[in-house]
Amino acid sequence: MEPHPIRLVVEDDLRRSRLTVFLRIILAIPHLIWIGLWSIAMVVVAVVNWFAVVFTGRLPAGLHRFAAAYVRYTTHLNAYLYLAANPYPGFLGAAGSYPIDAVIEEPGRQSRWKAGFRIFLALPALLLMSTLVGFGAGGGGGGGGGGGRTADTDVGSEAAWTAGGTLSAVVVAAILGWFVCVARGSMPLGFRDLAAYGLRYAAQTFGYLLLLTDRYPNADPGEPPATQPTPAKPVRIRVEDDLRRSRLTVFFRLLLAIPHVVWLILWGILVVLALIVGWFATLATGRLPDAFHRFFSAYLRYETHVFAFLLLVANPFPGFVGAAGSYPVDVEIAPPEAQNRWKTLFRIFLAIPAALLNSALGGALYVAAFLGWFVSLALGRMPEGLRNLGAYVLRYSAQLYAYLYLLTDSYPYSGPVAYVEREVELEPVPTWPDAPPEPSF
Amino acid sequence: MLAVGLAAGWSLGAWALWQTEVPDGLEPPAVADSEILSPALLDEVRSYETFLRALFLVSLVVVLVALALYARFGGRFVRESAAGRIGTGMLLGMLGLAFLWLVEIPSGLAALWWERRHEVSGLDYGTWLAENWLALGGEFLFVCLALLVVMGLAGPLGDWWWIPGGAVFVALALLFTFVSPYLLPAQVDAPPDVVAETRSLAEEQDVGEIDVRVADVDSYESPNAAAAGLGPTRRIVVWDTLLESFGEDEVRVVLAHEVGHHSREHLWKSVAWYALFAFPGAFLIAWTTRRRGGMREPTAVPLALLVLVVLQTVALPAQNAITRNLEAEADWVALETTEDPDAARELFAGFSEQGLIDPSPPTWAYALMETHPTIAERIGMAEAWELRASP
Repeated sequence: MEPHPIRLVVEDDLRRSRLTVFLRIILAIPHLIWIGLWSIAMVVVAVVNWFAVVFTGRLPAGLHRFAAAYVRYTTHLNAYLYLAANPYPGFLGAAGSYPIDAVIEEPGRQSRWKAGFRIFLALPALLLMSTLVGFGAGGGGGGGGGGGRTADTDVGSEAAWTAGGTLSAVVVAAILGWFVCVARGSMPLGFRDLAAYGLRYAAQTFGYLLLLTDRYPNADPGEPPATQPTPAKPVRIRVEDDLRRSRLTVFFRLLLAIPHVVWLILWGILVVLALIVGWFATLATGRLPDAFHRFFSAYLRYETHVFAFLLLVANPFPGFVGAAGSYPVDVEIAPPEAQNRWKTLFRIFLAIPAALLNSALGGALYVAAFLGWFVSLALGRMPEGLRNLGAYVLRYSAQLYAYLYLLTDSYPYSGPVAYVEREVELEPVPTWPDAPPEPSF
Repeated sequence: MLAVGLAAGWSLGAWALWQTEVPDGLEPPAVADSEILSPALLDEVRSYETFLRALFLVSLVVVLVALALYARFGGRFVRESAAGRIGTGMLLGMLGLAFLWLVEIPSGLAALWWERRHEVSGLDYGTWLAENWLALGGEFLFVCLALLVVMGLAGPLGDWWWIPGGAVFVALALLFTFVSPYLLPAQVDAPPDVVAETRSLAEEQDVGEIDVRVADVDSYESPNAAAAGLGPTRRIVVWDTLLESFGEDEVRVVLAHEVGHHSREHLWKSVAWYALFAFPGAFLIAWTTRRRGGMREPTAVPLALLVLVVLQTVALPAQNAITRNLEAEADWVALETTEDPDAARELFAGFSEQGLIDPSPPTWAYALMETHPTIAERIGMAEAWELRASP
């Protein structure tokens, strides 16, 4: 597939100035005023853009430059606000002027039909964008680069709250990242990459809305393939789904999941009771006993299977026992290993930041499932981007619950990756050269 | 020999359960429809019921055809499952019900349109769809539980699953009857006079204390009441629309009727009747699904659904006759307790008028659709009681 005409370049080294992080919002005030003024002008230009594309099938170069600069500027500003980059951005949205930058291709021919209905066609993307980065001013960037390395990805937008009134995933990552940056002077790789992914999607959405391209935004968190190695984690997700969906089971998906939800609740009661015993055992011996590990692992797999089914990340009706390798979206869990007793003692408190982020990512997952439901019903196929977004959130959720269920003391990794191929290896992967370790909270 | 013995035992059980307190040889006088409803109303009632009956027949045919198709092709959905044999069986069971739900939507909507047109229902189409959708979720849970029992037993027992399976289903029916008072619509405390009246009627029928509650239902729901529960959960639930639509005497007849269900152990009897049908039904399902590997195999589930619905359809006249028999006894007990045939007449005529119920439906509709005696029969019974009571 051709690369998306709006991509993101990440040249950020993860280092952050504690002082500017501490004062980030205040420092951004001039930019916020400027973006407000520019946005007003952009609305007018967008109307002109619309007439131009509908009548000529192409956006004139001058208008394209104006809108592209706007998308780039919002990307820079949002990257700054969300701590995805460190330096103070310029006010012009100049290409190549910021460590997280939107690369926007020259104007090409566009479908007039798509242009005519653009505002309606953009609604699903705007809805998804709201859960990733919130609603607000402009564009912003995303995707994969590791510390100091350049990764070519797409662009995106901004501000804070989702359509549902909850905090978006990128904002939650930024709030959590703020504390880490102030304490350590560096942004965790996972948070930065999550922000970059959201900004990339937002930039593509705004580029689409402002008629810079007629290519639909790509929700796939692994697109284009990130270049940095994924941190090795003892809990990984394996996806062997072929994207085909049965229309009948899609239509009744919610109801078909009811028996599983009932069983999940009943089994969950036992898990909670066992967790209390398991916690004491792990605290005493520094390791979760094998029987508990098997029990919690089966439940975690089952949870993942059920939610993958319910939220259209996979197609088949799952089994009831959480058998390993029995489902196209499966969790691979490393064998029991020694655990840090301090982390065990404070596990429930340590998990709170990840739980907050998981909750925010859950909004994106539900929106992806909602949109995917219509597409799957119509086409009998789940869009790959939405499926991969679902798999990404399920992976993070599985890592969080594995942490809570004492299956590992390794903290969940929040960065989006091209999850399947690069996560199947169980051997530890070296940490990215310049990247600081993931925070352990 | 065993079969003959079983048939004899079944017949004996059925005979024992059929016995009621309605006097043998009671010959209620024929009540003309014109004595119950005005000619204009009678025309409307007949027109209204004719459409619904036609819809019932069409829906029945559609359901049977749909299930036959599902029995033929439903096994293909096995590929949509990553579960084991029981989980896959559950999926096929749920998809079968989902398929039925889809094919029944047109007739359901047509019935609702007709009821709204005759002001028998005020339900809007969206709410109807949403309620049906949620009800389908409940059916899914039920079919999963049933298949868990059947396929779980069919694993080790093969085609003999029906013997313990029948017993488990009877136990579940008992459990369901026991908890049923808590599954009825939202209930509030009954007014003191209704509570006092129920207590008095329960004493007269020598049945001990029975709880009475009022169901807070939508204003368009027809007046109704129900007896539910067993032993400590026994309860009478009266729809608030009944209290609003009828006078004290008529409500007293209804309460006496419902207390009668409890005093004559009708809920226990219903479970016993269920047991009489459950075992042969389970046997027939086990027998007919043998060619598909029996109920151990998920691919047998679509066929089992078809067989179940066919059996239910075939047994429908008998089941309706059984419930009519119990309802007639409750009517008789109510007359004996209240000694107020005039109130009973007013009540039944009111039911007919408000719910547009045909006082004398055609025989086939009576057999297939009527779970209660006809309005004419009920009024006739009130008159027969009056005749017997008069010196």
